[in-house]
Amino acid sequence: MGYEREAGGRGMSYLELLNLAAPEAIIALAALAVLAADMFALRELELHFRLAISAMISCVGCVAAIGWMLALPEHGNVMGGIFIVDPLGQLVKIGLLVLTLFTILISLESNFTVHAGEYFALVLLATAGMMFLVSTADVLMIFISLELTSLSLYMLTAFDKRDVQSAEAALKYFLFGSMSAAFTLFGLSLLYGLSGSTSLEQIAASIRGPRLDPLLVLALVMTVIGLGFKVAAAPFHLWAPDVYQGAPAPSAAFIASGSKVAGFFVLARVMATGFKGAEGSGAWHGYLPGWVPLLAVLAGLSMVVGNFAALVQTSVRRLLAYSAIAHAGYMLIGVLAYGGSGLASLLYYSLTYGLTTLGAFGVVAVVQQQTGGDRLSDFAGLSRRSPGLAICMMIFILSLAGIPPLAGFVGKFYMFSEVLRPGSPGMGLLWLVVLAIALSAVSLYYYLQVLKQIFVAPSPGAGTWVSVAPVTQQVVLGALALAVLLLGCFPGWLVQRLAGAMAPG
Amino acid sequence: MAQLPDILFYVFAFLTLACGFLVVLNPFSTNPVTSAMFLVLTIGSLAGLFVLLHAFFLAAVQILVYAGAVMVLFLFVIMLLDLPAEERRKVKKAGLVLGLISVGAILTIMLQSLLQSSFSSEAAPTLEGSTIPLGRLLFTQYLLPFEIISVLLLVAMVGVILLSKKDLK
Repeated sequence: MGYEREAGGRGMSYLELLNLAAPEAIIALAALAVLAADMFALRELELHFRLAISAMISCVGCVAAIGWMLALPEHGNVMGGIFIVDPLGQLVKIGLLVLTLFTILISLESNFTVHAGEYFALVLLATAGMMFLVSTADVLMIFISLELTSLSLYMLTAFDKRDVQSAEAALKYFLFGSMSAAFTLFGLSLLYGLSGSTSLEQIAASIRGPRLDPLLVLALVMTVIGLGFKVAAAPFHLWAPDVYQGAPAPSAAFIASGSKVAGFFVLARVMATGFKGAEGSGAWHGYLPGWVPLLAVLAGLSMVVGNFAALVQTSVRRLLAYSAIAHAGYMLIGVLAYGGSGLASLLYYSLTYGLTTLGAFGVVAVVQQQTGGDRLSDFAGLSRRSPGLAICMMIFILSLAGIPPLAGFVGKFYMFSEVLRPGSPGMGLLWLVVLAIALSAVSLYYYLQVLKQIFVAPSPGAGTWVSVAPVTQQVVLGALALAVLLLGCFPGWLVQRLAGAMAPG
Repeated sequence: MAQLPDILFYVFAFLTLACGFLVVLNPFSTNPVTSAMFLVLTIGSLAGLFVLLHAFFLAAVQILVYAGAVMVLFLFVIMLLDLPAEERRKVKKAGLVLGLISVGAILTIMLQSLLQSSFSSEAAPTLEGSTIPLGRLLFTQYLLPFEIISVLLLVAMVGVILLSKKDLK
């Protein structure tokens, strides 16, 4: 069928395809270069140098891809939606690459593995998967790139081979992940059966009438199960606490930031493009079946489960995991605001959340290397041990909590006001927004609990020892904190770019 | 009046499901080799389903690559590792009941929606048998997914080597 479409005059040359997919190709090539360099040239060097050189090659790859996209903005839609390059997608890809860049930089001082080349190569390949994920409107491509991303992330979780927890986390992640992939595939194949096409637009075109086909509802639920797992929305969140705790800190940071951004973007695209016409309504007294009420329920559940479970955590990583589940709930509200500037608000939120959570995990990594644990008590007296680190952590935590001058607050405010904007599919979801705001207040408790340990609690032991984090890590974390602060004070910079990128499409 | 292909579909589908079940949970044997042999049967019945879809090439590949090459490797590994018969785990009653209830619920919902749905009569496009259209599609319409799968395989390869290698200290 596609072949006939080709013959129908929409020809494409391989060169054109290569040109459009150049950023992804650059990332994949950088991954291969890292693998090759590590195998042929770096084997005999000290681990520290191997890490540094591999990281440098990876960074060069990321920067080259970003530069390529900035210098040569392309437009294109090849093979009927299989690969789409548009300004918005490019902006998201640049955001993903920035997150990857920071992940690479906070991994620099890590000591959990001796396989430096493989580590960075897998980070890059996962990024390539995410980039493909955000530049397609075809369910086949969505599935394949989801698998590419997931498989790399499973590996990254299992990377610490000396730690049983890491293996356990990876196994859980893998089992849950393959189960949810099976659900996604089932849902997508039902969609294909219903519409006879893998393109999201044609799937939407086959949805007729206000009364939804029961099979379509089934397909919708199954697709949402799979994607809900990727973004760790309750009740598909069970893997998240274990993975965030067991995985090496940089891997956990990457899972929490990059894969979230890509996951939410593709969720929004599948729902808004593929299920266009099946919105339904989640208004308090006007329930209609469709994807809006489904996601609204997931959002509410995620916020409740995440925020309340986080209250009782003693491990900071688990706390961040449950906070991530709660944030998945907030971001699902953003998905409901799709259309117009609603997507911009979702992307602003997910990108700034990615930066913030990367930073928080970076601090946790440093503290864990110094004290050997990630319990709340290990953070006691951090402000006296390393004041710089403590201030960075304060900015990250307050941004997660949504305190005014920081990015987290602006993101929440912007997103919630977009949902209630007249004309958005999420209109009538006032109850959900009220719930979100109430639960944000609950979340303050556990966020401030961390800060209390850092700034108020006395340091264990004599408390006189001063520990200095490695310089690179201090610089990177400082940069992240500054970014969160600046994006919060001047949100217009990113928001305008996002809105501008959306305007022509 | 049911036609032969329809009957064959149900036969193969049933065989696939039954053999798949026996791979995971065989009441008569806990030997890994038995499981592997049932996996061969599962793959064989899947190949039968492909034949019914007129995808002869895929059926042949399924037999050659999966039932042939991959399964031989599987058996090699099982025999090299000399895996003992697996100990049977006690299944908790509550878990069993809960599992059965949820499986039953999902099954009912699926059957219900299948019965109620107005499945479009226009059949999904089939790839008629020969390898030429398949190859053409792989190099035109589906070139990019095809390439991404090669990257996916690279990730799997790197991962397996990484996880199975002993860290020399």
